[in-house]
Amino acid sequence: MDDDATNSFRRMSSRTRKVAPKMVAALASSDNRSQAALARLEALENDNAGLELIENIDDEDASLDDDEQAYIQKRQSKGTKRKTRQAKALEAKKAPKTFMELLHEASLESLPPHVPSYIKAAVGPPSSTSRRHFCTVCGFAASYTCIRCGVRFCSCRCQNIHNDTRCLKFVA
Amino acid sequence: MSNVVVLDNGGGLIKAGFGGDLDPSVIIPNCLYRPLSAKKWLHPSPISISTTTATATAAAEASSDLDLTSASVRRPIDRGYLINPDLQRDIWSHLFTSLLHVSPSNSSLLLTEPLFTLPSIQRATDELIFEDFNFASLYVSDSPSLVHFYEASRRPTSLLSRAQCSLVVDCGFSFTHAAPVFQNFTLNYAVKRIDLGGKALTNYLKELVSYRALNVMDETFIIDDVKEKLCFVSLNVPRDLQIARKPGKDNLFRCTYVLPDGISYTRGFVKNPDEAKRYLSLTDEASSPSLGVKNDVIELDVSEKTENRKKIDLTKNEFDLTNERFLVPEMIFHPSDLGMNQAGLAECIVRAVSSCHPHLHPVLYESIVLTGGSTLFHNFAERLEKELRPIVPDECKVKITIQEDPILGVWRGGSLLASSPSFEAMCVTKAEYEELGSARCRKRFLH
Repeated sequence: MDDDATNSFRRMSSRTRKVAPKMVAALASSDNRSQAALARLEALENDNAGLELIENIDDEDASLDDDEQAYIQKRQSKGTKRKTRQAKALEAKKAPKTFMELLHEASLESLPPHVPSYIKAAVGPPSSTSRRHFCTVCGFAASYTCIRCGVRFCSCRCQNIHNDTRCLKFVA
Repeated sequence: MSNVVVLDNGGGLIKAGFGGDLDPSVIIPNCLYRPLSAKKWLHPSPISISTTTATATAAAEASSDLDLTSASVRRPIDRGYLINPDLQRDIWSHLFTSLLHVSPSNSSLLLTEPLFTLPSIQRATDELIFEDFNFASLYVSDSPSLVHFYEASRRPTSLLSRAQCSLVVDCGFSFTHAAPVFQNFTLNYAVKRIDLGGKALTNYLKELVSYRALNVMDETFIIDDVKEKLCFVSLNVPRDLQIARKPGKDNLFRCTYVLPDGISYTRGFVKNPDEAKRYLSLTDEASSPSLGVKNDVIELDVSEKTENRKKIDLTKNEFDLTNERFLVPEMIFHPSDLGMNQAGLAECIVRAVSSCHPHLHPVLYESIVLTGGSTLFHNFAERLEKELRPIVPDECKVKITIQEDPILGVWRGGSLLASSPSFEAMCVTKAEYEELGSARCRKRFLH
């Protein structure tokens, strides 16, 4: 993680390169990796899926199982046949803001430095940077890193499982 | 004023009751859920007081026969803060009318609020209390000062009470705070927070089990129960990892959890409770370094019990846990293992203390109070002391007390405060709120 951050700019280029989709994944830049790590941490605060899907119905790529799809359809049929843009905006307004949005709105950064606030109360980075790595497959101490997605594993067996199952799961 | 409602509005559990009582009259999960069998969002049923050590889900399921498999959950609180006042209104009105049977308009409210609540959230809370529920008066407090207040009055001769100063470590559902308290006021400039709590731990366990065994991503309630029953804090992680690797009955940590099948049992359970407790024998003699000898001893203890240990039966939905049992709570001590750029609990405490005046340091280290549901993991305090000792200055003593009931500690402090004679003077009345508005009234509570 730490060394990833330092060379994050080197890999990024404004020019769009044409590469095979597999290679795109393979070249997943370290910036993507840190995004993936954040996404994974974010997922730890999620409640059960049922709720989340109601909020981002507009996400086409969110995978929906039949149950929820039925629910959404019902929701849509209940309202007017065609949703105006205004109605959509109103609906979005009705959905409660997440804490992160509220935090952003409060603009705590603008407070003078001596005032304690939510942001300043965070404990901050650890003093010793040594991060212990555990195998994502079996949980034991992991000494190897996946070259494609940066996830840790401990043995050849675990590497195979990792490649077969969720290599690039959080990155792609 | 006839009565004071004391409400500890946690992200996981609401603890509610009347000022002056010993225990809250109602404990209820702060959420609405919708099991697969129901079309509407339902209110969870309250948890009986006797089973408070096992938290939300286990007991909630016990009292109702609802099958909570794959139930969806809605919580009004996100990352510890109230973000959905509408949902909270639903839950509170159910609480006040059907469970507590109070009429808000002639009672006062003592509410706990997390530290550093954003002004917009405070305003929404005030609106909820005065405009929707019409409470006669309100007092808002933060949990560390209530914990300190309770501990100080319970043990009047202790250092904590004589110095009027303590360090409250609140490891709850949404996050973990280390908060120094002085003269019943939380020193908010010194408070440090780790963004990890019981909810993140449950979700982490969910992720691990889903990847390694069975997909349980939707089973919040079941995995909560697994966490409470099986997880513990390891005193020596490398050694325990070695043990967790062993096959057969040398592996003291392996145990099986059976998921509900919806027919013969609607609740999950630990397949063999004796098996699950084997790790206790290990930690009892944690100080002895030689691994081989120790294992021999334990093998003798447990060999009879585990003789008939069956292979995993794939027709039943069950899964084995080994190293997950201690690697999950481990995250509180080392969030960096998860990729989080935050210091662990021990360092968090040290940073909180060193932000205070140097004269307070020895006293703070000697009066650390643990509270919150996530401190209920076995060996939590021992591990904390073990990590804390090397990084605390030599001349300071480290003394960690765990509250006798970490889930109810805050509420009891609130109840005590509500029954004190000066309480009424500290409140903001509805008239004052209408006159001055939310922001001005909040100044009264000094945070």
